[in-house]
Amino acid sequence: MGTFDWKVIYDNFPFLMQGLLTTFELAVIGITGGMLLGIIVGMARLSSNKLIYYPATLFVNFFRSLPLLLVIFWFYFLVPLLAGRPMGDFFSASVAFVIFEASYFAEIIRAGIQSISKEQMQAAYSTGFTYGQTMRYIIIPQALRNMVPSLLTQAVVVFQDTSLAYVIGVKEFLRSASIVDAREMRSLELYAFIGVVYFIFCYSMSKLSKRLEAKKGIAK
Amino acid sequence: MLSYDFKWSILWADPYGSWMLEGIWVTIKLGLICWFIALFLGTLIGTLRVTPWKPFRLFATGYTEVFRDIPLLVQLFFWYFAAPRILPHSWEMYLYREIPNSEFWIVVVGLSLYTSSRVAEHIRAGMQSIPDDQYNAALSTGFTQFQTYWYVIIPYAIRLVIPPLTTECLTVFKNTSLAMTVAVLETTFMSQQIEAYTFHGIEATTGACIVYMIITLVVVMIMGLVENRLAVPGLITRR
Amino acid sequence: MIEIQNVSKWFGSFRVLENVSETIEKGQVVVICGPSGAGKSMLCKCLNGLEPFQEGDIIVDGISLNDPSTNLIKLRQKMGMVFQRFELYPHMKILQNITIAPIKVLKVSQEAAEKKALELLERVGIPEQAQKFPGNLSGGQQQRVAIARALAMEPEIMLFDEPTSALDPEMIKEVLDVMIDLAKSGMTMVVVTHEMGFAREVADEIIFMERGKIIERGTDVSFFKNPKSERTKEFLDKILLV
Repeated sequence: MGTFDWKVIYDNFPFLMQGLLTTFELAVIGITGGMLLGIIVGMARLSSNKLIYYPATLFVNFFRSLPLLLVIFWFYFLVPLLAGRPMGDFFSASVAFVIFEASYFAEIIRAGIQSISKEQMQAAYSTGFTYGQTMRYIIIPQALRNMVPSLLTQAVVVFQDTSLAYVIGVKEFLRSASIVDAREMRSLELYAFIGVVYFIFCYSMSKLSKRLEAKKGIAK
Repeated sequence: MLSYDFKWSILWADPYGSWMLEGIWVTIKLGLICWFIALFLGTLIGTLRVTPWKPFRLFATGYTEVFRDIPLLVQLFFWYFAAPRILPHSWEMYLYREIPNSEFWIVVVGLSLYTSSRVAEHIRAGMQSIPDDQYNAALSTGFTQFQTYWYVIIPYAIRLVIPPLTTECLTVFKNTSLAMTVAVLETTFMSQQIEAYTFHGIEATTGACIVYMIITLVVVMIMGLVENRLAVPGLITRR
Repeated sequence: MIEIQNVSKWFGSFRVLENVSETIEKGQVVVICGPSGAGKSMLCKCLNGLEPFQEGDIIVDGISLNDPSTNLIKLRQKMGMVFQRFELYPHMKILQNITIAPIKVLKVSQEAAEKKALELLERVGIPEQAQKFPGNLSGGQQQRVAIARALAMEPEIMLFDEPTSALDPEMIKEVLDVMIDLAKSGMTMVVVTHEMGFAREVADEIIFMERGKIIERGTDVSFFKNPKSERTKEFLDKILLV
């Protein structure tokens, strides 16, 4: 075992940072796409129309019972097939993330809306509001406030999940580190470094989420 | 659409079928071993997080935060590639040469530690939702701190946390798939191995999907039975 | 004004309301009392269509609730309701809690709605709380705001579902005072409550319900002095601390 040699990180810094950038790109796509799709599916899960409710429920239960790694592989094979031509690993990974994470966002959103008591709806109805007005002015504003900590936590999960794109060759942060490692054989320094970077980011986001959760408690 | 003809028979044809079965067995072994270690460790750490002694609490909090804020894959890579470097050379050689399946056991270390931090969080949340007066009632009858936790708090908390623990058990089995990146021959690895030999990626991956869905169903059923067995009127009731 | 005709409601084998009939005249104050689970809250919520019922009919001001062409939303504008847990909107200030329905439903202007809201807050005794959030107010204050919120829609009928059951004993009086004031001003009120002092003071009729049925009804004098059924006598004995 040699001495610690942090120079390897200094030398390869630009390359590693490029990987980190890719990680952020993938995370942003996963979070925004996942949330948008998640809102649709989440509200569909609350519908009393069976034609809307059952497909949404199937969607959510299907993806939540599978490992993300497998879903990434699946879309890696499926996307070029559907598109008719190779689409690149980043694109396939993005599709996989958006769809997979949407099933988790959908549940957060559904739970958020359901957490508002039936009596709040009745109070709004009793003053003559319609369903639409009740949702718009009373239920959804409250639900959003309640959901923010969980949404933030899930965003952190997406950020961590991007590391799985490693398996189909996407040059995100983890893979960049392993590429350097293959060349330089400085595993300890490299993996410790990326571990610390991930930790700093995720820890601060989760602290933020806890603070928002506490503030929410006071506002109520 | 790219022309593609589906060939589902690869899933059971020789030798692919037996590869899959081997892989499934490894997944189940890995999942169960990690789950039980994580349950034990996690209960310990989770309890430490709510004890009145600050050093224990700080340690447990640090433990939880570190394992939760670093991606699992990065952790596995760390244990597999980086950690052995810290060991003295002879230990490292022993690890790689003498222990059969060393990569399996390295993943056990990594996945158990990771999962135990998540279990700890659930246990902590469960314990903190137990009303203070339960502690006070037990202490007022002359129990020591330890007795209070052992006889009153932990049994109560366990029943409260069965639903989140069910989710965590499912997560462990899903996370075993990450072991494929460090050459553990489990289900996902095998499905991609089959793909490499037959070029029928969709069938192979779908086959693996079905395996995980079955595992999910079985776990949910078993945990449902456990929940019913432990059910207490007013706390959780029989469904 | 309200006619309840043979209303029955059930959940599976559990019968919540059993053949309930009653007439409530304009300007009357009707108090409904009885043990828990008697169906009192359910009846109250049926009156403005918040809860459906399987049998019978309820006719409010000539409009039948069962008629599919009835616009329940318009009907609810004429009936105000006050809930046991106040149900103020926690994300809005007090003033907005009161003004939002008149503005969005009755299309009243912002200034007119706010002026009315402040008048109502004066009437219930807490004009200074207008810019606060519900979380900053005590239970009694919140319930008074809830009454103001219901009154802002200028209803002809006010429904109260156990308005003081969730309040600390010290705050019950401030809410009852507002309700008594409202009753004396001629509002038609249906009040589900255990507060017999209130009933004695302003009720024109008292109904005793148990297990979904009306067991006894009477004017306040006859109800308290000569209850006809044994069950009513038993209930009165238990809750009147006299």
